Amino acid sequence: MRVWKAVLLMNLALALGLGVGWLWWGRQAQRLAQDLEAARVAAVPTGEREFRSTGVVRAGLGDLGLLVITHGDIPGYMPAMTMGFRTASPKILESVKPGDAVRFTLRGTPPNLAVTAIEKTAP
Amino acid sequence: MIALLARWLHLTSSVLLVGGATMLLLAGPTDRPTARRWDAWIVGLGRLLTAIALLTGVIAVAGQTAVLEGRPGAALDLSAIVRMLLQTQAGAVWLVRGGLLLVLGAFLAVRMHLADRTDWRAARGEGALLGLAALGLVAAAGHAAAVEPDTATAIAVDVAHLLAAGVWVGGLPALALLLGLACQESGADARPYAVLAARRFSATALALVVVLVLSGAWNTWAQVGSVPGLLGTAHGRLLLAKLAVFAAMLALAAGNRRLVAALGGDAATIGRPAMRRLGRFVTVEAGLAALVLGLVATMSVTPPARHAQPVWPFSVRLSLGALDVAPELRSTVLVGSQVAVLGAAALLASLALRRLRLPFLAGGGVVLAAGLGIAVPPLVTDAYPTTYQRPDVPYHAAAIAEGRTLFAQHCTACHGTRGGGDGPAATALNPRPPDLRAHHVSLHTAGDLFWWIGHGLRQMPAFGDRLSPDERWDLVNFLRALSAADTARLLGPTVAPEPLWLVAPDFTFAVGPTPARSLKEYRGRKIVLLVLYTLPASEARLVELAQRYALLSTLGLEIVAVPSDAEPDALRRLGDARIFYPVVTEGARDILDTYQLFSAAPHVEFLIDRQGYLRAIAAGGAAGRDTDLLVADLQRLNAEKAPPPPAEHVH
Repeated sequence: MRVWKAVLLMNLALALGLGVGWLWWGRQAQRLAQDLEAARVAAVPTGEREFRSTGVVRAGLGDLGLLVITHGDIPGYMPAMTMGFRTASPKILESVKPGDAVRFTLRGTPPNLAVTAIEKTAP
Repeated sequence: MIALLARWLHLTSSVLLVGGATMLLLAGPTDRPTARRWDAWIVGLGRLLTAIALLTGVIAVAGQTAVLEGRPGAALDLSAIVRMLLQTQAGAVWLVRGGLLLVLGAFLAVRMHLADRTDWRAARGEGALLGLAALGLVAAAGHAAAVEPDTATAIAVDVAHLLAAGVWVGGLPALALLLGLACQESGADARPYAVLAARRFSATALALVVVLVLSGAWNTWAQVGSVPGLLGTAHGRLLLAKLAVFAAMLALAAGNRRLVAALGGDAATIGRPAMRRLGRFVTVEAGLAALVLGLVATMSVTPPARHAQPVWPFSVRLSLGALDVAPELRSTVLVGSQVAVLGAAALLASLALRRLRLPFLAGGGVVLAAGLGIAVPPLVTDAYPTTYQRPDVPYHAAAIAEGRTLFAQHCTACHGTRGGGDGPAATALNPRPPDLRAHHVSLHTAGDLFWWIGHGLRQMPAFGDRLSPDERWDLVNFLRALSAADTARLLGPTVAPEPLWLVAPDFTFAVGPTPARSLKEYRGRKIVLLVLYTLPASEARLVELAQRYALLSTLGLEIVAVPSDAEPDALRRLGDARIFYPVVTEGARDILDTYQLFSAAPHVEFLIDRQGYLRAIAAGGAAGRDTDLLVADLQRLNAEKAPPPPAEHVH
């Protein structure tokens, strides 16, 4: 065979090899991302769940049955923010005042959660 | 050290591979026996060089693994090396390059019968292609791959730089070899071929040097970026050394071009002595090139100047800021610079002129020197080793508050409580301490202030033994805030179209037991209204803001309210006001210490744009500012084209 033909074939093979490698690399990255996503979805259990967090009470909206809390990270549910939560009973709403630092429990099927327990952490 | 040597050998062999192959292509196919002998030599050397490149590449990978893992033992740990190869970008690049070199080695190892010109070109071209690909990919794993933003451009420029260097520098030894062979008694048949090769190489090299200079300039800007970086860091000084050797190479190359041009005539009249001289010079040039590659290998393992703290080597620097203090010198500098330009033009003209060259050269030199002599002295400013250092401590409220305390302890006796130079001890001093808030402070860098605090200045004692470096940086940050507060008097209660480029000092705060946040986290995302409030007068305003909070949020605003008594129980104090924006309960003291430098009013609102610049200060009683005006300001800020975010260092 003539050398130039061999070189041409070799270049084709190289380009093909690099292309396949590139695609494989992309596929690998994509699969990793998919696995991660699947794992994330699988990690979220369905049905009733319970979360605990700390925060500070900003207001009790008695008319709506809501307690507005500036809370820290709630792992698996939401990052730190100021947020109104439904309360399971009016007693919970009445037991705290704005400015109280609290530890609280959320229970329910996300996103339908309610504060089921709350206690002040500082006098 | 071994890793560095390996890197150098690796780079050199990769460059020689590329240069040898492209030199062969440039010279072209031939059937003269001596030239064919040269061709065979280059290919044989190519095999050896590929083996060296592969071997030293493996050592360099091991060395890099040790650096990445942070333990020397990792260099011999196979699993760590595999991890580095498979999981990092640099590793992937090394793998691909290794693969290309293996293919190249295999290709060169096959003995081919290349009688046909097309076959010869195909075979040598393939060698060049593989070598170029392996060399160019070095860029994707070097400093260029870490340039942000514009990584792709940086890599492309670096590839151009590497390939141009490879073809030029790597071609030199191959050319020297050809010239050497042709000079021998038995090599007479190859002399016309050698002359042709030298001519073609000479023409190519000229273009390559242009590419090298341009891409090198771009790289310098990306990796060094400043004169202090060039003069004051290890990376910058290595670059200077490289430039010096490069200049020597260019001088030699310019001489060689003349020699090549002199190699005229047909085969019979070509002078062997001229060829021998050319060969010798080309060898010297190649030796210098090896030195440059050594410097490059060292640079590739030195942090880029942009990321290092420069140590200024001179006791003076040139600063245009000096003209702000002495405006009457502006015209002097202007005239001087024009005279200097005239001199430079005369020097350029002397190059073009044949007659009168000497007078023009001498006259231009004198005029240039005179112009510089007039223009430069007014720009000379004192400088210190730390002049261009960036503060180790960020421009943050905690540092400024600390600096404020330190200032009160150590500095107020002379400098006065607000830095006005009117402390109780100041009257005894001659000259009086300067006003630290005055605008001329901007003439001095943060590093200057740091040096003076540590080493003293005129009558001011040195505090280097009493204050730690971090405490000195705290003071520098406090002075920067003091000066900024002075400038901030120009800010109105509403946003002006032209920003004053005053960076709002960063601060960290928390609401109750929630995780702390900082102003910087809002950068690029939200406009921030920092409200320092005093109850009960401010309550109406806070409630008004709370009622419009939904609208203001949709306009991209976050409100951060700070009680002026730094009361940790601030939320309870606000009672049932239904205020849901952050009210600071932790970190308030530092924020107050810093922002009250700007305004000490009981109720004051600072508007900070998305880039972190202070844009408006509304001080006043409970009335504060009109929320409709605030909405208009937000719309104006939202319509603005994003100005550049502030640099981390101070000037």
